Amino acid sequence: MSEILQQQPTGPLLQVRSARWFWYAIICVVCWGGWALLSKLGSREIPPDTMQFLFTIGTLPVGLALLIARKGRLEKSGRGIAYGILNGVLSGVGGLALFAAYHTNGNTTLITATSALYPMITVVLAVLILREGFRPIQALGLVFAAIAIIIFSL
Amino acid sequence: MHIPPWLLYSILTLIAWGVVGLLQKLSTNYISAESSLIWLVVGFLVLEPFFYRGPAIFHYSTINLSYALISGLLNAVGAWALFASLKSGGKASIVAPLTALYPVVVIALVPVLLHESVPPLQWAGVGCALIAVILLSA
Repeated sequence: MSEILQQQPTGPLLQVRSARWFWYAIICVVCWGGWALLSKLGSREIPPDTMQFLFTIGTLPVGLALLIARKGRLEKSGRGIAYGILNGVLSGVGGLALFAAYHTNGNTTLITATSALYPMITVVLAVLILREGFRPIQALGLVFAAIAIIIFSL
Repeated sequence: MHIPPWLLYSILTLIAWGVVGLLQKLSTNYISAESSLIWLVVGFLVLEPFFYRGPAIFHYSTINLSYALISGLLNAVGAWALFASLKSGGKASIVAPLTALYPVVVIALVPVLLHESVPPLQWAGVGCALIAVILLSA
């Protein structure tokens, strides 16, 4: 009985913590949904390279806010920094291609759904390069992704 | 099989971002997620000279320029919120598939904002894509 009483106060606290992470995740979904929609809206007039140029300027306030929050202190790992910068370069190339896709006047829903399939590449590369385990659920995901791309190309 | 240009570009995005996913795993092995986001923005900046088209930028309508700028801001805030969710106790196995569902927001708003429709067969493809994203991120 005493054990139950001791555990009771932690229940609501855990719920509050859970709610916080959930709402952060919802903020992420809403922001990324808005990002994709505004990318399409802007791409109707603005060419892909200029869209990517402006997009980058839009990301600066968040990068600066994080830098200020950390008081300019960043880890001094050469590898980490190199991977981080390469991340940005490849993200930019991918973004450029996405703006080009939207600029073709292709269907916004189909473009967004196709480009969101990028975890299929990450999963395969993680298995091949990082030797991570390949779970059956991920194999099923790859099958669904392949079916989606085949349907879109019909 | 005719592959339309939008699909080719979308697949290029998919491949580039797929590699980014791997690099993200690698970078966070050495630095924090916040630092990784800061260096990601630096990576974006590396490309800026190649994309700058001079004062011609200001010839586009203000509203579309705003859309482009705000799209960058929303993307970065979304990335920050993802990190915040994970730091607040969200399990990656739940947060990753949940946040990968952002196309649902687009799918819900496109008919209203852009008056675009999707043919029935393509809807099946969209359904498969959403299922795939959830399974791959799980």
